[in-house]
Amino acid sequence: MQEKLILQNKIERGDFARGGETSSKLKELLRKLGVPSDKSRRITIVTYELEMNIIIHSHGGEIQAYISSEKIKVVAADSGPGIEDLEKALQPGFSTADDEVRDMGFGAGMGLNNIQHYSDDVEIETGPGQPTRITATVYL
Amino acid sequence: MKKHSVLLKEELCEGCTNCVKNCPTKAIRVHHGKAIIKGELCIDCAECIRTCAYHAKYSMTDSFADLEDYAYPLVLIPPSFYSQFRKVSPLEVKNSLFKLGFKEVLDVSLAAEALSIKTAEFLEEHHGVFISSSCPVVVRLIRLLYPELTEHLLPFKPPVDVMAEKAWQDVMTRGISPEDIGIFFITPCPAKYTNIFSPLGFEKSYIDKGISVDQAYQAILEVRKEDNSAEKAGSGKDNPGKASPVEGTQETVLPYLGMGWGQSGGELRIMPESMQERSLSVSGIHRVKALLDEISRNNIKGIKYFELAACNYGCVGGVFNVVNPYQARFNLRRLQVKGSRPVEQDYGQYNYDLPGKFEPLRIGQLDTDLEKAMAKFMQLEKEIELLPGLDCAACGAPDCKTLAEDIVNGLASRSDCIFLLRKQVGELADRMSALAHELPPVMKKEKKDR
Repeated sequence: MQEKLILQNKIERGDFARGGETSSKLKELLRKLGVPSDKSRRITIVTYELEMNIIIHSHGGEIQAYISSEKIKVVAADSGPGIEDLEKALQPGFSTADDEVRDMGFGAGMGLNNIQHYSDDVEIETGPGQPTRITATVYL
Repeated sequence: MKKHSVLLKEELCEGCTNCVKNCPTKAIRVHHGKAIIKGELCIDCAECIRTCAYHAKYSMTDSFADLEDYAYPLVLIPPSFYSQFRKVSPLEVKNSLFKLGFKEVLDVSLAAEALSIKTAEFLEEHHGVFISSSCPVVVRLIRLLYPELTEHLLPFKPPVDVMAEKAWQDVMTRGISPEDIGIFFITPCPAKYTNIFSPLGFEKSYIDKGISVDQAYQAILEVRKEDNSAEKAGSGKDNPGKASPVEGTQETVLPYLGMGWGQSGGELRIMPESMQERSLSVSGIHRVKALLDEISRNNIKGIKYFELAACNYGCVGGVFNVVNPYQARFNLRRLQVKGSRPVEQDYGQYNYDLPGKFEPLRIGQLDTDLEKAMAKFMQLEKEIELLPGLDCAACGAPDCKTLAEDIVNGLASRSDCIFLLRKQVGELADRMSALAHELPPVMKKEKKDR
């Protein structure tokens, strides 16, 4: 089956109240489509990290989810401000989140690591002052 | 074969959709004015019994009459049962049950204490996060709606089944023949009754019959009333005070700490403090669902063990209880504090291990084939667009999305939605009105100039 868009959600910066909405929707959707629960769990965790990243770090963005016979693909695209030093951002425990966000229990510096850990494939396109686009894939 | 104990008394159902809206698994639909439960989605949580104002939802159980079928009936008392009595002590409760005809009266609390200790050891030895598997509703909920979390369920039997197996073996060693043995359980909820004929993670339960707490409560009151009048009639001379204690009630060391299992938090309380600090108790099905959502998306950190109960405050909140859960908690706590440490016993005498596995279920998918499921999904999106999104439940489904799914699955139609129906009627009326103004050709005359 060819790749099809199954979910599209706009996400605003600082909209913590709706944090988790996209991943919950996706989880429910994948259940309806009969995706095995272990795969669905992994992509749900990844999607949750991606949406929280947009809420915490970006100017706002959008998440899209695609499914085909081979894979589930989630694309998180924001409008900036970009990741200053990607290598550093990928180090476990590194975070640029401010104290306020950390007080809320987010920004532990594990977001990108978790995304890498639970996906089969991750592509990150970013740069200082650039939009960030992360494509995470779990193979079926 | 029966699979559930929660059922509908059709003649009482008004078709109001209160249960439909409150069902945590969206298992109920009102069709032809009656609330039908979809068996494959029901987890016997009894929320519908709680919600129904017309008492149309009920749960079947067995009764004291079933004692006659067994030469050697014995009964297992759940920890929460003692919470139903404020002035009757656990020993008096047990005594009354002997008088009702049971040959043995056993405390599940004893196995519960042992299971808590065993669980704490298991948690120390195993990596990862675990969820208590003693509440059958929680296990059924996870298998159905959170199949990805089944591997986190503790691979042990609930205390009642641990106790039942032990009781069976003990009786067998006494040379009593298997067909004479009848193991009864006083159940606080329909789900634990369901587990007798449809156990989770093993083939067959050692328990034969389940009597609801309210029936047992009533029977005990009757026995005590008879005792009291007999006592008065005996004027206290030849018959000094109470009837002599029945054989078996002499054991004075009771598992008071284990009785705490009857309410949320009681399981943890028996564990070493170091484990309590890394654990969390949550009760109430809607809160449990919200928590499982968080666990599922990996948004709960630093917790090793979750003690979950579907009823508010744990088993004291079960629908078969007589006393309200607040009083019950209070009563139980007064007993719980009497036990400063677990009863000394050989923990090796029990078999805790689940023989099978908790299997995740795959229910609710639109189709087994991804491509077909995808086609249905596209149709589903369209149907959702069409519906008003008011979630009024007048169609008999809990919300618009569920109706859309039922439509796609051929179980409902668009006109089940009163708003869509009204719109269709409106359009039809418009068309009729337009038609009514159309004239047959012979009557159509062009206006002539005078």
